[in-house]
Amino acid sequence: MASLLQPDRVLYLVHGEKKIRSPLSTLYFCRYCSELRSLECVSHEVDSHYCPSCLENMPSAEAKLKKNRCANCFDCPCCMHTLSTRATNIPAPLPDDPSKTTMKKAYYLACGFCRWTSRDVGMADKSVASGGWQEPDNPHTQRINKLIEYYQQLAQREKLERDRKKLARRRPYMPLAFSQHTIHVVEKYGLGTRLQRQRPGAPITSLAGLSLKEGEDQKEINIEPAQALDEVEPLPEDCYTRPINLPEVTSLRQRLLQPDFQPAGASQLHPKHKHLLIKRSLRCRKCEHNLSKPEFNPTSIKFKIQLVAECQVLLTLTNPVENITHVTLVGCEEGDPEDINSTAKVMVPTKELVLAGKDAAADYDELAEPQDFQDDPDVVAFRKSNKIGFFIKVVPQREEDGDVTVSFKIRHDFRNLAAPIRPSEEGDAPTEAIWLTHHVELSLGPIIA
Amino acid sequence: KSQYLQKMAANIAAGAVVCVESEIRGDVTIGPRTVVHPKARIIAEAGPIIIGEGNLIEEQALIINSYPENIMPDTEGVEPKTMTIGINNVFEVGCVSQALKIGDNNVIESKADLGKNVILTSGCIVGACCQVNTCEVIPENTVIYGSNCMRRVQTERPQPQTLQLDFLMKILPNYHHMKKTVKGTSTPVRN
Repeated sequence: MASLLQPDRVLYLVHGEKKIRSPLSTLYFCRYCSELRSLECVSHEVDSHYCPSCLENMPSAEAKLKKNRCANCFDCPCCMHTLSTRATNIPAPLPDDPSKTTMKKAYYLACGFCRWTSRDVGMADKSVASGGWQEPDNPHTQRINKLIEYYQQLAQREKLERDRKKLARRRPYMPLAFSQHTIHVVEKYGLGTRLQRQRPGAPITSLAGLSLKEGEDQKEINIEPAQALDEVEPLPEDCYTRPINLPEVTSLRQRLLQPDFQPAGASQLHPKHKHLLIKRSLRCRKCEHNLSKPEFNPTSIKFKIQLVAECQVLLTLTNPVENITHVTLVGCEEGDPEDINSTAKVMVPTKELVLAGKDAAADYDELAEPQDFQDDPDVVAFRKSNKIGFFIKVVPQREEDGDVTVSFKIRHDFRNLAAPIRPSEEGDAPTEAIWLTHHVELSLGPIIA
Repeated sequence: KSQYLQKMAANIAAGAVVCVESEIRGDVTIGPRTVVHPKARIIAEAGPIIIGEGNLIEEQALIINSYPENIMPDTEGVEPKTMTIGINNVFEVGCVSQALKIGDNNVIESKADLGKNVILTSGCIVGACCQVNTCEVIPENTVIYGSNCMRRVQTERPQPQTLQLDFLMKILPNYHHMKKTVKGTSTPVRN
């Protein structure tokens, strides 16, 4: 099956903002627009956050507060693997009677991959299994928070002024440019919460709420400007002569994963909380319908909506839908602007090929009559349930070392199973078939001399 | 060379648990409290192997004292070199060790490959699938991990697997036949 094992053999052309050629397994099919969509012509949206090791779901507001980090899980600062909590028994004196000792459990963090433990950096063992581990505080946190507040206020003020100016001379036919510009300014300092991508043509009512704040008293935040220092700490005297203890030096990756401290020594590498991952949903940019929407539960890999191209669009030989489908293959003409990659001429069968529908129960139904399709043996090699094999003639044009690539167009009928928005007047009108044309490129492999 | 050829028997101390399905060839001495799993292979081709006590050699591990590559087995004047393995080492499943000197408390993880010129001191951990074929002495408490064989030094040596050893010494004789130790007969069962 070219779709699973050799995905790059058969490429479909997607007409989007850019012309993209990619295998069918990576494409989606918008059944409202009846067109193929690739990952570059859909918009990606964040659906939910979850931790990859404890699989705990986190609402977006909480995720933002915790800087997209899980509360329970840690990453090894040495190899970025997930840390596990281990327990040891240590003798500890009883609180009542200091002379007797009892075994108490002490917990420490350990990495299974590189054998790093929390004791390596001097973190004491904790008496609770989870929740006892703290990340070290950044000494600059206060200053950074104050700066962020100040700049957020500044951005808001600038935006209001700009809005006021534009409202004064606003023309009725210019709402789009105005709203997108101000949203860009707001997002500059991270203020935008619901002011994400404004839908084209939507009214600007969401911005009206902000102008109400003019009446409120806004706290003036003043910051002290940063002070430039004249003197810098000198380098230690044995900087050039001291032998390097190589295991103690941190690698760049280890250092930059902790941007707060960027420790140069391995004995200062503290574990950080694990980063959350997201589940994303895809949306067609033209008709704003969802193409792919995953389940909310992090443990589930299913989708609520999944309009993958393989379930809708014809594969080269297999018919994925349940109806009988008629396929015509048309070779690309000379000077076809989409035909840039083919290195061989192809003669496709000119007759229309008929493919039976996909019937899941056909394998088990022994009494079913074999469908009689009267195939021309020159054209059709074999037929099996919803698959068909057919012959094409290929004439390579150039003697090349590369692969022989042919391209042609597949034209097939497609019945849209989505409920029609227009109400039908007399009972159920049968769903009409529309004809879709796809440009396909097939890579046949190298020429054997 | 003739002296070496005479000692073709395996010398298994009392208290060691060596399964019959393991393959032990050549002059091999195994200390007490060592467990050798079935399908482990200890081959003393170019010289004797001396294994200390408390070691754990798991399935499909290969400990081989082989001839250097450019020397034919029949060359005269080649001194047999002894391979020494200390105490409390763990050779995990599928590892290959040709190192001539291994100290104590080392862990050689699954499918690791140690070359002939490496010398492990104590407390070293060679990670899974890591190939170490340099000509060097690995310092104490070194951990070799990752696909690029990154190294780091840990502060404590790995603990000896006493619990595991005790458990295995109880359970393995229930399901496998054991090779005879020195206290019993002196002729071992050869595969």
